[in-house]
Amino acid sequence: MITTQDTPPQSLVQLLRGSWIDRALLIVSLLAIAAVWFFIQGSIASGPPVAEIYHGDTMLASYRLPGPGQAPVHFAAEGDLGISEIVIDASGVRMTASPCASQRCVLSGTHRHAGDLIACVPNRILVTIRGSRDNNLDAVVE
Amino acid sequence: MEASLRPPLEELENKAVWLALLMLGIGLHVFEAALPSLGPWFKPGLANLMTLLALVWMGPRAAFMLAVSRVLVGSFFIGTMFTPTFVISMSGGLTAALVMIITWRTLPGISLVGVSLLGALAHMTAQFVTVESLFIHQTALYYILPPLLLLSCFTGWINGALAGYIAGRLKYDSIR
Repeated sequence: MITTQDTPPQSLVQLLRGSWIDRALLIVSLLAIAAVWFFIQGSIASGPPVAEIYHGDTMLASYRLPGPGQAPVHFAAEGDLGISEIVIDASGVRMTASPCASQRCVLSGTHRHAGDLIACVPNRILVTIRGSRDNNLDAVVE
Repeated sequence: MEASLRPPLEELENKAVWLALLMLGIGLHVFEAALPSLGPWFKPGLANLMTLLALVWMGPRAAFMLAVSRVLVGSFFIGTMFTPTFVISMSGGLTAALVMIITWRTLPGISLVGVSLLGALAHMTAQFVTVESLFIHQTALYYILPPLLLLSCFTGWINGALAGYIAGRLKYDSIR
């Protein structure tokens, strides 16, 4: 039940400051998230960029991202509902067709950074990217 | 005789307020489903405002029932009933409601801002755990969780302040 109060309510700006315990929780949360993020990025950003395609717990394929001018890879991933079409080219990885109803996986566009992923939950298909183009050196010259 | 069968006015008012919050929550749930996606299973959490208001005004039981009912009826309207999206949404909503109820009752000094912050983080984490354990079975899924949790901190904080503002404003305006 809404009880009444006779003192004016706090403004939105005052409320946005939060209490001291709110701020402490925010700082702890941000620090924990940053630590986990750096740990994950450190573990997946090494090596050349590779797209990994999974159906459930099974890895279907793993492809190195093609460089500029190299031929794109077209992969048909068989999922629970049907075939998810995946294209891997110089611009990154994208899903071009999916049997799911929402098509969110197709609409999510092209992904190219380490840690990016495309997930089609109804079809149980996952595409992830490991590694970075920064590590993709042909030679080091001093 | 007939008068004794009629429920007390306060009980009827409570039910009316709860139903109004449920309708608003369902409306916001449907609105959020139509928004462009910022990331997998990420939503601003506006519908959670109604759970927060129910928690403040009516207590844990009403807040929990509101969270469950909102996902059930909202999924019916957006056509995702009993699909993976429904399971993901329900797991996030239930976990967020439980975390918000527990923190609201046990953490002294916490405001709706902190409660909403923890609810948003619990919601996002629960959705990823559900997807990983029931559908995708790949820990690689968690690669994208930290940036989405950062966004959840932001939206949770704003939503908590908004809920506090609405609750305070309605309390004050109702006696003017």
